[in-house]
Amino acid sequence: MSIIRTANGSLHRNVSRVFERFYPYASVLPALLVIVLFTIYPVVYAVRISFYQYILTKPNSHPFVGLNNFQDVITSYYFKNSLINTGIYTIASVTGVMIFGLIVAMLLNTKIRSVNALKIIILLPWAIPAVVAGLMWKWIVNSDFGILNGILYSLGAIESYIPFLADPVLAKVSLIMAHIWKEGPLAAIFILAGLQLIPNEFYEAAKIDGGSGLLVFRYITLPLLRPILLVVVVYETMTAILTFDLVYVLTGGGPADSTSLISWFAYAEIYKFLNLGAGIALSIIIALITLILIILYMRALKTEDTIS
Amino acid sequence: MKKLFALLSLLVLASMLLAACGSPAPVATEAPAATEAAVTEPVTMDFVVWSYGIETITDNIKNFQELNPNITINLKDYSWLDYHDTMVGAFAANNSPYLLYGSDHWLNEWAAAGWLVPLDKYCPNVKEYSKEVAPYALQGMTYNGEVYGVSYYADTMDFVYNDTLLQKAGFTTAPATLDDVYTQAKELKAKGVNEYPIIMAWSQKEGAFPEAWTSLVFAQQEGGNALFDAELNPVFNKEGSAAFDVMEWLRKVYTEGLLDPASLSMAEIDQVKSMQAGAHTFTIVPQYNMAELNKPGSGDFAGNFKIALMPGSSQSTVGYVRFYAMTQKVVDAGPDYIAAACKFMDYFGGKTNGDYTVVKRWAVENGLGFAQLPLFDDAGVIEAFGKWGDVPTIKQQATLARAKEGLAPWYGSWDVFARSEIHKGILGEQSSLDTLNNMADQWNELKAAQ
Repeated sequence: MSIIRTANGSLHRNVSRVFERFYPYASVLPALLVIVLFTIYPVVYAVRISFYQYILTKPNSHPFVGLNNFQDVITSYYFKNSLINTGIYTIASVTGVMIFGLIVAMLLNTKIRSVNALKIIILLPWAIPAVVAGLMWKWIVNSDFGILNGILYSLGAIESYIPFLADPVLAKVSLIMAHIWKEGPLAAIFILAGLQLIPNEFYEAAKIDGGSGLLVFRYITLPLLRPILLVVVVYETMTAILTFDLVYVLTGGGPADSTSLISWFAYAEIYKFLNLGAGIALSIIIALITLILIILYMRALKTEDTIS
Repeated sequence: MKKLFALLSLLVLASMLLAACGSPAPVATEAPAATEAAVTEPVTMDFVVWSYGIETITDNIKNFQELNPNITINLKDYSWLDYHDTMVGAFAANNSPYLLYGSDHWLNEWAAAGWLVPLDKYCPNVKEYSKEVAPYALQGMTYNGEVYGVSYYADTMDFVYNDTLLQKAGFTTAPATLDDVYTQAKELKAKGVNEYPIIMAWSQKEGAFPEAWTSLVFAQQEGGNALFDAELNPVFNKEGSAAFDVMEWLRKVYTEGLLDPASLSMAEIDQVKSMQAGAHTFTIVPQYNMAELNKPGSGDFAGNFKIALMPGSSQSTVGYVRFYAMTQKVVDAGPDYIAAACKFMDYFGGKTNGDYTVVKRWAVENGLGFAQLPLFDDAGVIEAFGKWGDVPTIKQQATLARAKEGLAPWYGSWDVFARSEIHKGILGEQSSLDTLNNMADQWNELKAAQ
């Protein structure tokens, strides 16, 4: 009897040990499967395709071409120009979004009436889909009936309506304006959250010491906001580099490819030139560029933390 | 290491699962016999179109289904501007529809990929219809000697002018050459009739942009090979070529403020509205826009828009065709689907009881052009077209029309490249010759890659 009991106890202990050992793995398995299926597998598959010639009009011929797709993309007619366009667009957009976000956040942080309602209203442009935002801006800057032309004309700033989207420089500016309008509100809300975390005592102490508004901003607000600003900069840099829908709707990359960003060509390679291998190779290059920039930002943050 | 192995095993397992879930390999089906077969079982097929005249299409489908109760057609539509890319995505993802709209400038690309199947191989009546189709349209539906479509509509790119404004500037005859257009445009500007007398819809996204540019080129050249020779080698990149003259002219009218700079961001719909508002006198549009331009009540100038033959020595233009096509999916689905698809082609692009019923409906109700030559003699069509246009001029321009040159599988890719190069030439970012050389180089590169 006791032997049976001992055997039962031993079996129970073994089952329980096995259960304890595998339970954590079983628990994470569903989530892991989802990640593998929808994230890891597509990425691995995409990387694999980038090493093959994958022209959509030749569905039965996919020879291994090594790094040729990457070489083709880098030496293509558009790569340098679109990289410059993306650089200009990213720098101007991120700078604009940060300035806009900072100013709006500081205004919302004051004790003005209806500030809570304003916080919601200010988020509206961010909540609008990029395609709709693009269409709205297409109308705003329209050369025949655009409201921007109407305002400038009625103020006497222009003699005739300007075709904003038909001029290479003005088309770039229009695109950047649309991006700042769309992305600025989110940055403002992030920065506002950061501002509200700064203890009021700091400002009171500065006031007692006779610090002016600008000095308080320079030596209290800005340093304490730095971590939030960095997060916003990282996010906005990624958003700007990957901008596609706004370009697609607003300018279609024109005129004369002046607004063709690198992400536009990743799309064009696949859907216009029908070269999936090259399109994916370009997408990987874009991902690497973004990753490098983020690592640089993170290092900058780490260095500043160490110094402080 | 064990964890890594476990993760990799999971990855492999997931890949196998995904591969197993893929669609089965296509089953080859023999072409049917010479007479059209009957549909023996109920058949349901999707039909994808670009968003135009959806109510008419829906009504046509209803009528077709009444005649063929065994066949159900499900309609899907996408914007014209996104149509090509959406369909490429669907084809590449092995999610093609059964029936769809096609266009001459995509045919080579789609047929070479095996996404479309030749209609004349499966639908015996198509050979008969082809005999009555205008040559430029038949050429636009033919790939490797096989016909891949029945015409939904076929049209020409037309030079359109506002007669009232032209007369206001003191001209009683339409321009016959590009020099005439330049001279008259200068006068229109000088007299303050228009700030910019010429407008084009040449946004980089606009599909009709290359067709309008090619029309200008064709009009300056007697005979064919204005852009490519018989071996598809570029012949346009030299001084004195028709393309060179067109680029020089475009640069001139742009720098002298005769061509609206907004042309480089203009879409077709805005171009038509701008013309209706009287903001411009000259433009190039697909002919079907004439019905809209002259629609009573559409503006102060309704009824005053006229077609002139494309200005140039040959007055030739681009004739293009949009057509009904069927995909490999129909063939893979079996004989009933093939028979149903052929009945669909007969009804929509061919004859019902001896008449081109649907094609005529599009022409009469919407002013769409057509490739079926007998319709030019149809009293109903003549009466309808006469309301917004001069039928003899329309017919003469159609006679002078030619299919686009260089309709190779890489034409679509080259077309995208060419648009931005033409922009650069107009803006003066590069010379006309550099523009054309770049276009030729890109063509050669794409050709070599094939």
